[in-house]
Amino acid sequence: MKLYEKVIKNPWPYWVGGILLGILNILLLFLTGSTWKITTGFLYWGAVVLEKIGLNPADWYYYSTYDHGLKEGQTFFLNSYTVLNIAVIVGALLAVLWAKEFKWKKIKNFKQFSFALLGGILMGYGTRLSFGCNIGAYFSAIPSFSLQGWVFAAFMFVGAWIGSKILFKYIL
Amino acid sequence: MTATSSKIEALKRQREMEVKKKKNQSPFGIIITGMVITIYLALINYNLDFSSYWIIGILMGITLQRSRFCFAASFRDPIMVGSTSLLKAVLLAFIVSTIGFFIIQLRASVANPDYLITELPGQFNPVGLHTALGAILFGTGMVVAGGCASGVLIRIGEGHAMQLVVLIGFIIGATLGAAHFPFWDGVLISKTPVVHFPNHIGFFPSLILQLLLLCGLYFIADWYDKKNNIMTT
Repeated sequence: MKLYEKVIKNPWPYWVGGILLGILNILLLFLTGSTWKITTGFLYWGAVVLEKIGLNPADWYYYSTYDHGLKEGQTFFLNSYTVLNIAVIVGALLAVLWAKEFKWKKIKNFKQFSFALLGGILMGYGTRLSFGCNIGAYFSAIPSFSLQGWVFAAFMFVGAWIGSKILFKYIL
Repeated sequence: MTATSSKIEALKRQREMEVKKKKNQSPFGIIITGMVITIYLALINYNLDFSSYWIIGILMGITLQRSRFCFAASFRDPIMVGSTSLLKAVLLAFIVSTIGFFIIQLRASVANPDYLITELPGQFNPVGLHTALGAILFGTGMVVAGGCASGVLIRIGEGHAMQLVVLIGFIIGATLGAAHFPFWDGVLISKTPVVHFPNHIGFFPSLILQLLLLCGLYFIADWYDKKNNIMTT
């Protein structure tokens, strides 16, 4: 029962999470040969929608450069990003269910809705310019000894500062 | 008097219902656990690579959720409340993964001494003004939306409807960015290089320098927290 309280019911200290994530990051690269990336998967889901309405995003210039295209045998819907992203969602769901903390939380108001959408669009657009999000261009890039990761970190901090100002002025 | 006690009774009942509601989550937990294991076993036979992505993703989700890990907060808290405990956890994750990535990359480079940077295991992309511009947009959006890419996934799993909206925004933004990519590639990206430190100063000096830098940042973050954290005195 004590173990249950400690591991499943109570939150883990931040530093435990940090060390475990570091190990999982290594394990992913070791087992699959690929680093952890998230937002390319979101882009691919967008491409699924575009395909559904009759467009052909696979022909876009974007997918023909910088190794941005689909890997052999993968589709915009079924690919390693989709598997990994769904797994992270399900992992979080498992953790809250075990802790008996799952709760459906509704959207409070229109203001919250519009800031969520706007923030999402800003992040999504940014990831295509910087070749990754806080995972691909930061959490995977810095341990790869790639300058991209450090530049991204420094300017994400600038962005977070701007975001905090907006938050103080319009939301809080 | 009776009004008060009936109110208390009502509260008690409400509280009991809440406890019951919580207890009812166990069957779902067991069902989902069973599904996760079944999918893992099926993927081992169907696509071994996918099975690795699946099980590591599950473990990442559990870890991120249980430790309340949040990249957005790790950048926001030092600015807004002077707390760096999350930033320090991110730096710890970097120290651990730097050592692991180093071993994996070194092994690959020994096996193939004439390697191209992009052939090494890791994340390698051109770096330049576009990286800075994208990161500023990303950082701003992250604080405004109240979550980063991993945070969105975790909070969807926790049941936050709002984060589905952020995800839709993410998809729209990424699609627009990809549509405009020819423009950005033309003006900013195409002339910029991929910079891999070991390529310039060697593997071991890169490791030592990066570990020193990360540890240095850790101690600065620790000092900053003690000085500025408004939650502790």
